Amino acid sequence: MDRRKVDVVLTTVLIIISLIILTSDQLVEGGAETDLGSMFLPRIVAVLMIIFSATIGIQSLKKLLQQKELEDKELIVTNGYGGIFIYIGIFIAYWLLVPVFGFIVTTPFVMFSVALLLGGRNWVPITAVSVITPILIFYGSSQFLRVFLPTWSL
Amino acid sequence: MFDNLLSGFSAILAVGPILGIIAGVIIGIIFGAIPGISGIMAIAIILPLTFYVDPIIGITMLLAVYKAGIYGGSISAILINTPGAAASFLTAVDGNALTKAGKAGKALDISLFSSVSGEMLATLVLILVAAPISAISLQAGPIEKVFLLLFAFTVIGTLAGESIPRGLLSCCLGMLFAMVGMSTITGASRFTFGYTELMAGFTFTPMLIGILVMPEVINVIRRRKVPHHEMMITHSPKPADNRISFKEYRSVFATIVKSSGIGTFIGALPGLGSSTAAFIAYGEAKRTSKKPEEYGKGSVEGIAAAESANNAVCGSSMIPMLTLSIPGDDVAALLMGAFLIHGLTPGPLIFFEHTETIYAIFAGFLITDLFLLGIAKSGFRFFVKVASLRRYYIFPCVTVFAFTGAFTAGQNMNDILVLIAFTIMGYSMRVFGLNPAVFIIGFILTPFLEQNLDQALAIVGTDYHLFFASPFSWVFIALSAFFIYSSLRMRKKATSTPQEKAV
Repeated sequence: MDRRKVDVVLTTVLIIISLIILTSDQLVEGGAETDLGSMFLPRIVAVLMIIFSATIGIQSLKKLLQQKELEDKELIVTNGYGGIFIYIGIFIAYWLLVPVFGFIVTTPFVMFSVALLLGGRNWVPITAVSVITPILIFYGSSQFLRVFLPTWSL
Repeated sequence: MFDNLLSGFSAILAVGPILGIIAGVIIGIIFGAIPGISGIMAIAIILPLTFYVDPIIGITMLLAVYKAGIYGGSISAILINTPGAAASFLTAVDGNALTKAGKAGKALDISLFSSVSGEMLATLVLILVAAPISAISLQAGPIEKVFLLLFAFTVIGTLAGESIPRGLLSCCLGMLFAMVGMSTITGASRFTFGYTELMAGFTFTPMLIGILVMPEVINVIRRRKVPHHEMMITHSPKPADNRISFKEYRSVFATIVKSSGIGTFIGALPGLGSSTAAFIAYGEAKRTSKKPEEYGKGSVEGIAAAESANNAVCGSSMIPMLTLSIPGDDVAALLMGAFLIHGLTPGPLIFFEHTETIYAIFAGFLITDLFLLGIAKSGFRFFVKVASLRRYYIFPCVTVFAFTGAFTAGQNMNDILVLIAFTIMGYSMRVFGLNPAVFIIGFILTPFLEQNLDQALAIVGTDYHLFFASPFSWVFIALSAFFIYSSLRMRKKATSTPQEKAV
C-alpha cells in the first residue's frame, strides 16, 4: 500500500481536528479563570499540528502528483494483516467476556487462541501453559499484590 | 555525597531490593534475548507489579530489567544474527561471525564484560555529575523551565522521528492526549465529551503498554509465518575460543573506556539513544584500530566497542531525567512514569527531597552490574534455552501479562479498552512513520509545561518581553535552533549519500 495516500488522508483529518480545536468553545467545560486559560495550550498545539500535518501532507501530495518512485519506508506491507485483525478481535472478546466469565475461565481460551494463531500445534504443552499461567497470575496478584482480577459473575 | 552513597548501599543491601534486582536481571536478560521482545516491553509489563512495593525495590528492579534487557539483546544478536534490540545490530555483525567460526562463547563473554564495564563507568559518571547539575538547575524558575521543556520537545521531536515534521507531529499528538481530562490548573474538563470516565485523563500504564508493548506483539503476529530460529551456543574444540582471557580483555580495555565515554555523552543528550551511541563508538573504534579489516568479520574489539557504548547509555540517559525532568529516550520516559507513580518527581528537587531513595537507587544501579555479570555468566545456557522457546508459548503469555498489567493500574475494565485503543493507535503510528516514544515523552512532559507556563505568565503579567530577559531563555532558544539545524543537515547528508553512491 502507498503510504503517501494514507499521509494525505491522515493529515487532512488531523488538520480538520486541529481546526475544530481552534474554533470550538464546546471542548472545554467549567474551570477557573487564569492568565493562561484552559484552551491556550491545546490551541497552540493545534496550530503546530496544522503546520506539521500540512508539511507532511503537501510533501506526500507533491510526490503523488509527480508520480515519484516509492521509497522503502513509503511502502506499507499489508501481508499478515488478517492475523492482526483476528488478534484484535480476540482481545476485544477478552475484554467483553472477562467481566462475565471471570479471568480464570476466559484467559485459557484467549491464550490457546493466540497460540493457535501463531501456528502452535503442540496441543498438550499449549493447553498446560494456557491453564497454569492464568491460575498463577490470578493467585499471585491476589496474594502478593492485592489486585483482585475479575471473577465469574453469571 | 559519599555519605549519601554509603547510606544508599545500606538501604539497598537488604533482602527485598536484592531479590528485586535478581528478578529484574533474570527477566531483563530473558526478554532482551527473545527476538521480537525488547527490554522496554519487559519494563512496561513489570511496571504495574512494582506499584505495590517500596520505591527502592520497585525502581531498582525496573532499572535492573533495563540494564539486563539491553545486554540480553546481544545474546540473540550473537547466536542467531537477530538483534533483540536495535542497538545490538553491530554486535550481531561481529558476534554472529564469531559464532559461525565456533567462537560463540568468546563473543558472549566479551559482550557481557564490555556491557558491564560500560554500564559501570556510565553509572559512576551519573553519580558524580547528577547532583551538581541538579544544584545548578535548581536555580531555574518557571520561565527557564518553559524554555527548557520547549528545548526538550524540539530536540526529541527533531532527532527521534522518521523526519522532523513526523517527529514533531508525534510529540504534538502526545501533548494533545495529555490534555484530555480535568485541567490541574483551572479545573476545567477538556476533550471529555461528557464522559465522566475521561475526567481523570488516560490511565498511564494501559496507554504505555498499548503504545509501546503491544505493537511489538502485533508485529510478531503479522510475521507469524517467518520460520523460528533455534538459538545454540557453538563450541570450539580449543578451550581458548570458548572464553575471553584476561589478556584479551586488557587488549580491548582502552576501546571499552573510549566507547563508554562516547555512550555516556550520547546518552546524556536527549533523543539520540543507544543505537546512535553504538554506531558512533563502533566507527571510532574501527577508525583508530590496528586491525580495522577484522571489523564486520568477527572482531572482538568491534563487539566491545558497540556493547560498551550502547550499555553506557543506560546510566547516562538518567542524567537529563533526574536533573532536568527531561527523559532522553523512550525507556527514560517509561522510567520517569515509574518514578512519578512511586511518588518521586524526577528533577533537581529529588536530590533534596528523596536523598536516601535516590542514592539507594544509584547504589542499586552499581550492584545490578555485579549481579548481571554473575547471573549472565553462570546462566548462559539457561537464558539461551528460555529465549529459544517458540513464539506460540511466549506471546500468549505476553498478551495476558499486558492485560493484567493494564487492569492492575486502576482495577478497572475501562483501562483494558484504553489498552486496546492505544494498541491500535501505537501500531498505526509505526505504520505511518510517527514515533510512539516521542508521543509518550510529549504525553509525560505536557503537564509540567502547562504548569510552568501558567506560573511564568503569572510572573511576567503583560510584560511579555520578560520571557526573554533571562540568559537561560536565550541559551535554550539557541540550542533548539542548533539542534534543528544540525538535524536538518544530518538528514540531508543521509539522503544525499545513497544518491551519490548510486551515481
